[in-house]
Amino acid sequence: MPDTPTQQQDRRRRLVRTTVNRGSAYLVLVLFAAVMLFPFVYMATGAVKTPSDTFRYPPKVLPRVPLVAEIDGEEREVFSLDFGSGEEPAVLVETGVAAGLFVDPDNPERTVPWPLDLASETGSTVTVGGESLSTFDVQLVAGTETLALQRNTVVGRFQQLDGDGVTYAVPRTATPAETIDAQWSNFSEVIGLRDLDRALTNTILVTILVVAGTLFTSIMGGYAFARVRFPGRDKMFLAYLGSIMLPFIVLIIPLFQLMVGLGWVNHIGSLVWPFLFNAYGTFLMRQFFIAIPKDLEEAAFIDGAKRGRILWTIFVPLSWPAIATLATFMFLYAWNSFIWPLVSINVANADNFVLTLALQQLGGTAGESPNLLFAGIVLSVLVPFTVFAFAQRYFVENVATSGIK
Amino acid sequence: MIGRGPLGAPPDSFTMDTITPTRTADPAKTDLPLGLMLAWRVVVAIGLLAAAFGVAFAVGIEVEGTLRWVFTAALGIGGVLAILAIQWTRTMVHRGRATGFFLDYLVAIGAAFAMAQGADLFNGLDTAAARFNDSALFLILIVVGWFVGGFAEKTKRPALVRRIARSTMAAGLAVLLVSMGLLPGLVEFARRLTQADVFIPLAIALVAAYSARLLWSERAASSFGTNQNQAEVMDGFFFVSPNLIGFLVFLAGPLLVSLFISLTDWDGLTQASFVGLENYGRLFSDAAFLKSLRNILVFGLVAVPASVIPGLFLAALLNSKLPGMKVFRAIYFLPSIAGVVGVTLIWKNLLNATVGFVNYGILRATEIVNSLTGAEFEAAQPLWISGSSVALFSVMIVFAWQQLGFNTVLFLAGMQGIDPSLYEAADIDGASAWARFRSITVPLLKPTTVFVVTNATILALQLFNEPFILQAPGPPNGPSNSTLSPVIYLYQNAFQRFRQGYASAVAWALFALIFAITLVYFSRQDEEGVLSA
Repeated sequence: MPDTPTQQQDRRRRLVRTTVNRGSAYLVLVLFAAVMLFPFVYMATGAVKTPSDTFRYPPKVLPRVPLVAEIDGEEREVFSLDFGSGEEPAVLVETGVAAGLFVDPDNPERTVPWPLDLASETGSTVTVGGESLSTFDVQLVAGTETLALQRNTVVGRFQQLDGDGVTYAVPRTATPAETIDAQWSNFSEVIGLRDLDRALTNTILVTILVVAGTLFTSIMGGYAFARVRFPGRDKMFLAYLGSIMLPFIVLIIPLFQLMVGLGWVNHIGSLVWPFLFNAYGTFLMRQFFIAIPKDLEEAAFIDGAKRGRILWTIFVPLSWPAIATLATFMFLYAWNSFIWPLVSINVANADNFVLTLALQQLGGTAGESPNLLFAGIVLSVLVPFTVFAFAQRYFVENVATSGIK
Repeated sequence: MIGRGPLGAPPDSFTMDTITPTRTADPAKTDLPLGLMLAWRVVVAIGLLAAAFGVAFAVGIEVEGTLRWVFTAALGIGGVLAILAIQWTRTMVHRGRATGFFLDYLVAIGAAFAMAQGADLFNGLDTAAARFNDSALFLILIVVGWFVGGFAEKTKRPALVRRIARSTMAAGLAVLLVSMGLLPGLVEFARRLTQADVFIPLAIALVAAYSARLLWSERAASSFGTNQNQAEVMDGFFFVSPNLIGFLVFLAGPLLVSLFISLTDWDGLTQASFVGLENYGRLFSDAAFLKSLRNILVFGLVAVPASVIPGLFLAALLNSKLPGMKVFRAIYFLPSIAGVVGVTLIWKNLLNATVGFVNYGILRATEIVNSLTGAEFEAAQPLWISGSSVALFSVMIVFAWQQLGFNTVLFLAGMQGIDPSLYEAADIDGASAWARFRSITVPLLKPTTVFVVTNATILALQLFNEPFILQAPGPPNGPSNSTLSPVIYLYQNAFQRFRQGYASAVAWALFALIFAITLVYFSRQDEEGVLSA
């Protein structure tokens, strides 16, 4: 049955509306994605810039280095100058050429430094800015112009790189020619000179131990709270649940004193041993275990298996999603924790730094070289980003479950 | 008699009294080394009581103030239980087995801890970390083995592949441990065994562990006539013990100590003097603390909505099943992965007043607007981090930027829990996207919204990292205290001015504030019927 004109019109209108809606939805999403990504792009390109390139104004995203040409076995800086047909690469061949600073009488803002040899006095004068100046016929690249001599100066003679054109400019203010090039050596420098590799491996070690330890204690505790009945269990669990809301800062002073008392302060152990127990992890595992059907363990009980065996051979293999979720949570927690390492590890003890501390120190002291700082940040996010790429599901899962805690 | 009830059912009330020990075995017929066990029980009882006296009168042990009495009480209770356990062991009741086991277990852990402290094992991690720096690459072997194992099911011979994967991981771990200096470490440990403060605790730990193992065995269970429920109680405490010990030592204990410290005047080094509530009283007249509270309120009022409201809209867009949404979700989530220190340092450069991209962007945007409209706006070039009027605003930008993706994913998870048939019904009624969002998504998302706002508020109240890093190397309180937050004030008082009593009072004041907000959150959730559902 063919559509009536009104139906067709209606359908077309709906199509237009959907397209506009979708288009604007994508526009908003892309806009926010750009805002989210730009700092990371800036970080990544900043990591391969030269120090002076990080301070340029206007700022540029891509890393640039001055162009260098080899002339007669010698490295020469290349400038970008006008030879009559736009900017072209050129090298400085002679300095200290006697010149005059000529000013355009019709446009006093425009000044040209040019050799006096290429200018001939006309004999007339002109008043520029209340000053009486004599005028010259100056042979510029584009042609001869009549300009007024303001004062004497010196210029450099520049030779066109791909031709035989010659032009003059003040070397100090001439625009250097640039090329886009990455300074990969920044990474080796930040690893070698700033010992960031030590902070990196320390962080890896601390993270592995904290994740493994928390998984172990959380699996044990979660199982006890979910499946084993003992007096006081539910009150204990409630206390655990409450402690999730406890801000860490309340514990920071007594924990620091405890570390001092045990002699662990300023040692890597202080970043590991107190953090092998996590109420949130226990809660997460308990919630997962409690949903596992009871029949599965009944059979094992009848066969005379003990609870430890049942936990590790039946519950744990069934709980990989929860374990992975908890592992990602603890991974981020351990990898990115800052205030506790700051309190516990002495600033002078760089051997025991973790990445967050090392970066903070680098950011606070290496003000003259943000490129090295960026290289360090790239190193610090490389591992989390890789893990995220492989386990995105569990990161998102973790956020979703934190919403029901 | 208590059976195993259905899962999640309200637990039967458990007390030790409901469990009546039933004697099923004749003590005379047991094959346990009863004499030795009794002797060991006596040794434990004497040891614990002696330790209690030792701590009480500080014989060769330096334990400060109140903590001494806590230790004395704990050891004393242990000692009394140990004496009772002697009698219970003699009569072979289950109580003897349970008490004996947990005493031995705790003694073993305590002695092992003392041994590890004596041999400096805990701080041996420093040496391990130094070696790990050279051998971390062996981790790749383990990771490769892990991945190979993950693909085992997809191959023709999964059992073989899994075995290869497992041996690769084992080999990787072995090589890693050896290259981290496991062998020299063991030699060094053996050398330290000759020290009395290592050897004696180690011997105690070994004997206690052996005794615990013996009491844990099936043999002991039948000899002591343990029934199934009693066995379950022992299992329960055993499984929860690693967590429970950690919880008491590193959370509950410090929490109480923190409360006590907040009632004292203490520099963290010398003797503390009890001052009652004086620290709390001082808070209300401390201009800097009040300033930090005001900063954090202003901060929260701007940064929380700035990170929550766009998150809600972005989540609604992401929920629209269009292609590519997972990519956008991943991009928005990146700042939460990257870690606050790194991203704050990036923003510190972006916000640089002279060469930063933010001010350059403002300049260019103004130029474009001016050339399009012919207006002559002056481009604002704020000092950002170093400007006293905009420093806090810089912190807000960084916080909102980092928190936004996290909130979006939270909202998205909440939206995916909404019944899709509601949207279908609205579609049939011809409701627009905006109408669906307003009358279905927003009201049904209220529990999630309350959680997101509460979570972001609690995080905002604990603001520390962003201003600390942005303002470095200057003091983190920023120009004219403009970025001073309560946690920064706490940090400065505790670790720079060594006023740990006062700093603890700041911590508890902030905790009270956070707790109040959490309570409001829970009462709101209760109204929604989320907790009771």
